[in-house]
This record gives sequence, C-alpha cells and structure tokens, in this order.
Amino acid sequence: MTLRPSPSNLCRSAGCTLTGALSVTTHVCDAITVVHGPAGCTHHNFSLLHATSLDNDHVSLPPLVSTGLSETDVIFGGEGALDRTLDQVIARDPGAVFVLSTCIVDTIGDDVGMVCGSKAGVPVIVVPTAGFLGGSFQTGVNNALVALAGLAEPATGNGRVNIIGEKNLEYEVDENFAEVSRLLTLLDLSVNVRFVHDVTTRQITSLGAARLNVLRDPSLIPVGEYLRERFGTPYIPGYPVGISGTITFLESVAGACGIDPRHAVEQEITLRQETLDDFADIAGLGVSFFPHPPDPEGGRVAQDIAQALRLDITSSGRPVPVPMTPPIGITGVRRMLHRWRRALHV
Amino acid sequence: MSECGTPLWPCAMTGAAACLAGFEGISVVIHGSSGCYYYPATLLHAPLHGTFILENEVIFGSGDRLREVICDLSGKGGRIAVITTCVPSALGEDIKSMVDEKDIIIVDSPGFAGEMEAGYRAALAVLSPAIDPERSGINIDGISLSDPFYEGNIQEISRLLHRAGIPVGTVFCRDRAGMAGHASPLTIGTNEDFGSGVGDYVGGTLGIPVLRATCGRLAVAYDGADMDPVLTELDKEEERVIHACDKFLRRYDPPGVAVFAGAAYALFAADTLERYLDAEILAVGTRNDPPAQTGVHCKVEKLAGLGEVGRTITEVAPDLVIGSSFERSLSADRAFVGIIPPLRGQVRLAHPPLAGTSGTLHFVEDVLNACMDKTV
Repeated sequence: MTLRPSPSNLCRSAGCTLTGALSVTTHVCDAITVVHGPAGCTHHNFSLLHATSLDNDHVSLPPLVSTGLSETDVIFGGEGALDRTLDQVIARDPGAVFVLSTCIVDTIGDDVGMVCGSKAGVPVIVVPTAGFLGGSFQTGVNNALVALAGLAEPATGNGRVNIIGEKNLEYEVDENFAEVSRLLTLLDLSVNVRFVHDVTTRQITSLGAARLNVLRDPSLIPVGEYLRERFGTPYIPGYPVGISGTITFLESVAGACGIDPRHAVEQEITLRQETLDDFADIAGLGVSFFPHPPDPEGGRVAQDIAQALRLDITSSGRPVPVPMTPPIGITGVRRMLHRWRRALHV
Repeated sequence: MSECGTPLWPCAMTGAAACLAGFEGISVVIHGSSGCYYYPATLLHAPLHGTFILENEVIFGSGDRLREVICDLSGKGGRIAVITTCVPSALGEDIKSMVDEKDIIIVDSPGFAGEMEAGYRAALAVLSPAIDPERSGINIDGISLSDPFYEGNIQEISRLLHRAGIPVGTVFCRDRAGMAGHASPLTIGTNEDFGSGVGDYVGGTLGIPVLRATCGRLAVAYDGADMDPVLTELDKEEERVIHACDKFLRRYDPPGVAVFAGAAYALFAADTLERYLDAEILAVGTRNDPPAQTGVHCKVEKLAGLGEVGRTITEVAPDLVIGSSFERSLSADRAFVGIIPPLRGQVRLAHPPLAGTSGTLHFVEDVLNACMDKTV
C-alpha cells in the first residue's frame, strides 16, 4: 500500500468512524448492524472484517446490512431507504439493531435519529458515525462502546472484571486476551464481559456488575470515564505491555480490587526471569529496530526488552521486527523474542 | 431486483481505480477520505494516492488539498488521474477548475453511482482509447486488477498468441498509459465483464470450446496467424481434462454445483463443469447483470447480496460451491473453489489463470481436488 504523498496531518490517515464502530458492533453475535449509505461502504467494510475474522480462524460473516443508497436517494434524501431497511431487519427479530451512518448521509443531512426513534420491538441504537466526517477510527470505536453500554443497567456487583475495547482487527486479539486472563487468574479474578468481543446483547446487560474495567489501551479512557460515571466502575487504563508491564498491571488491579498481590507478583517475576533465561543465547548481540517503532511507547518497550537481554542497540545492528503495537505481557514478549532470534540467526 | 442487504461486490469508485491503476504512467489519486482509500489500496495491491480529505475541506472546499497532492505528484512523469468519491461528487465541486494541471484525467465515479464494472467502464471511457490501424498484434481485454486471476490471464493469453506468431497489442487495462490510444484493430477477451469495447472483438478465451472458436476466427482475421500449434495444444489438453474427469466419474457421482461469480466467470465455470464432469448446475448467481443468452441449462440470476447467496446455498444444497471466500464461509463443509475476489484466508503467491488452456486445466484441477478431498 502506498500512502504517498504522505498526509502532513496524521488525522488524514486515521481511518473513518464507520470502520472503527463496525469493528465493535459486528462482534455482538445476535445483533444486526445497518450501515446507512451506498452499498460500497458496506461492502468495503464487510470485506475487511471478513478478512480479519478469517485471519483469526473465524469463518463467520459479520452481520451487516446496507441501506444501499442510490444516486436518487442522494438527491432526494435517504430516510425512506433507512426506514425500509430497518423494517426488514427488525422482522428478523435480532437482539438489537445498531445503525451507523456514512459521510454521504451526513452531507445530505438525513435525520437518522428520527427514523430510528420511530421503530419498536427491538432496541434500535444509533451509533454516532458519519464516515470521516465523524472523526477517526478510534472515535468510531469509542462512540460504539458508549452507545452499546446503553444496553446495560446498573447491577449488583459480581466481583468480576470487564475487558473493554479489545482491538478486534488485531491479529493477536485472542492471544492478548488470554494473557490478560492469565494475569487476572493469578489474582483469583475472572472475566465478566468482553466488551465487545463475540458477546450477545444479553451478556452486555451485565456490564455494570463488574468490580473493575480493564481498558485495552489509554485511547479508551473516555470510555472508561463514561463507564465509571454510569456504573461507578473503576478502570485500569491499558493492557500490560513489555517486560515490566505485567508486574505493574498485577499491582494496579490488586490495588483497585483490594487484593494482596504479593504471591502473584512473585510468580510473575519467576516467569519473567525464565523467559529471559530462555533467550540468553542472543544476549550481547547487536540489533536495530525495524520498522522503527511507530510510537514512543513501542520504542521504550523494545529498548527495555533489549536492555534486559543486554542486546546492543546500534544502527549497524541486525534489524529485528518490532510490532505495530507493543507486545502484551510476558507471553507477547516471548513471541516477539522468538521473532528476534529468528532474525538474528538468519 | 436484488434485495437490499449485505452487498458482495465493490463500488464504482473501486472499479475506476482498478482500471486506471492498471496503466503504468498514470498516478491515481482517490479524492476522498482515508476510509475510501484503504479498500481499493488493499484489494488492488497497486500504488494509489489519496487526498485524505477532512471535515473542514468538505465545509470550505477541497481545492487546496487536491492541489497540494497534485503538486506533489506533478513533474514526476506520467499523467495524474483523480477519482472522486461520494462526498466530493455530491458536493459538486468543479475539480477541473481546481487544478492547473492541463493533462489531468478526472473520473466522476462515486460509490453511489453503481457497481465496480460501471466505474471501470467510466474510467476507461475517459482515457479515450483508440485504434491505431497500423499497429500489429491483438489486444487482450477484460483485465482488472481486482481479479485474482488477471496476471495469470495475461501470461496465458500472451503465451498462446506467441505460439500463434501474433504479437500482443494493448492489454486493457494493464499496459503503459500511451498504449490505450494506440490499440491494435483486433481484440480478444479474458473476461467479458470488463470488456473494453476497443477494436473488433474476435472472441473470448474462457473455456476450451470458446477458445477453439476464437482461434478459428483469428486464423481468418489476422494475416500470418498460425493457429495450428494452439489448436493442437487445445486438443491435447482437453483430452487430459476429459481423462481426469472420466477417472473421477468412475468412482464418484457428478457433483451438484452452485456457482457465484461475475457473469463471465460464472458461465465459464458452469459450462465447464457440465461439459466435462456431467455436473448438475443447481444455481448460478451473478454479482452483475447476466447476459440475456447464457448457454447453460439452469436459471441464471443476479444474486449480489449475502442473504440471497446464503439462502440459495441452503435451498439447493450443492456438493460443490464456486465463488469467493464469502461463499466459502457460507458453505460449511461443502467442497469449495474460489474464482472471484475476495479470496481471503489462504496464501496466494503464484499467478494461475482462468482464461486460456491453462485456465481450464487449473480450474478443473481445483474442482476435482476439492471434490475428492470432501468425498474421501
């Protein structure tokens, strides 16, 4: 993919709200997402989500329906097309219907809220998106999570932990979840809702019962704040990253839940040392990072790991791959180190 | 009429990009948001540029941004083509007046204007392809970067023309940009869904009978063509296909088949399976409008939505499904062969064809292996 000429403003390449929101809403298994716009917008996203799910070994197809706006609708208004599509979709009796709009709909000024408000029988939830006119990919994710939280009501606590805003388009999404679950288990905690990853509308209703929310990363803090305000649930701002992240994570979660973390931390320190010992054969070698870490945190994490293994970071060092997002937990670090060793042994 | 649902085929903007990005020497600019850019960029695997417009440019006009991108591309050789997406098109901005570049190509092909083939045709028309009566060779058309088989089709048809002593004219749309205006007077096709309409059409190359007929016409239409080596190859390879299918039929029943693809590929698949495997074609669903005369013994209808395709597979319960990875996901444990995009979830490095002799060999080979894998 060629992005030249490079957008001078990073916002330009931040994707569109529609894709971000769809990466959330299509993971509610018993709901249907309606995309109000031309068929192409739905197809593009459907194809992308399909490819991603196949990468993650899921053969299911995302439940997406387009209002199929035509040139005539663009000229005379598309509310009729949305109305007809909603009637068809509601007739299928889904758990909920999520309605997302596109940039062309925002441009022609369709009143999506009015059309959705006239429907009854199943929850019809408008997720604020307007293609690129609504903001970035991340805005779409956050808006969708906040909108879907509307399916839940404050509930009696169940002592469990919610996972908030998993990156559903990420290749390692399930592996990262497994790593966080492993750490929670060390503290005798279990997962309440993966909000939102392969859940049902019924499961979402228990969102407010958790004692803690763990956000996937700090870009979700607005969602964490919203959930704290709505349900009174505190949050941890991100998954544990890098070689030292798991210890900090265990201590933060334990602190938020009033648990003694010492035994879990001891176990984790042992695992960390075992991991470093397993890669002792590459200690002292010269490395450089390729591609250059895309964000400062990624660079810091890669440097920490290299230093822990006494690797020499130098521009003439052999390039080792650095993932787009920092590795999650010790398991993520271990996988990255296997790739480093492969690169160093080539 | 196709139902409103989950569309399985790309929009006109993507079709326009598939056409123009196939020409070396044209820098294609998608004038729209990053969201519109990413899909054709990932589907076509071609260098595309984008204006990545933002909200303020929708409010105050996108001229400055478009000029900035074009200025960056100017002077680097070749022409610049701007494809408008939905919002710039709906705003009705006069793109031509926004830019100083005189030789710019502008294609108004927003997503709401139709499907991929419409955008492809619109873009090709803007290039004003023309015949050069003095130019020798035969044009190859039907090539679209969106087609997983396009590279293999070019290689295969070029090989066959070479065997017949015929140079390749212009390849629509995978050639140097200047070649569109200097096409040879005769054209053969690899995929009628993306026909160029340039030159006298001699015939298609999908399936051995069609190819044989095209060879016959070429022998008459093109001075100096020696079609004997190709016809000999056709006979020999067709015999291999017959032998392999015959061997299959000694142990297995013919499969019941549901085919979903663009009309040209769908009809090729249906005819090939009926002809050599005595397959029962249970359904043919096309992504685009099918031709009036199909030549297959089965109802052919446009089925371009996920719901329609899923219902059809459930109703006809085929042994074998031909389509894209969408159909594969709907087919559970049925045998599957992919012939249209997207073909996700598998590693694809080589360039197999669907057109020409090798195209039929490749297709039948895939079908037999898929069927035997499921029946063993």
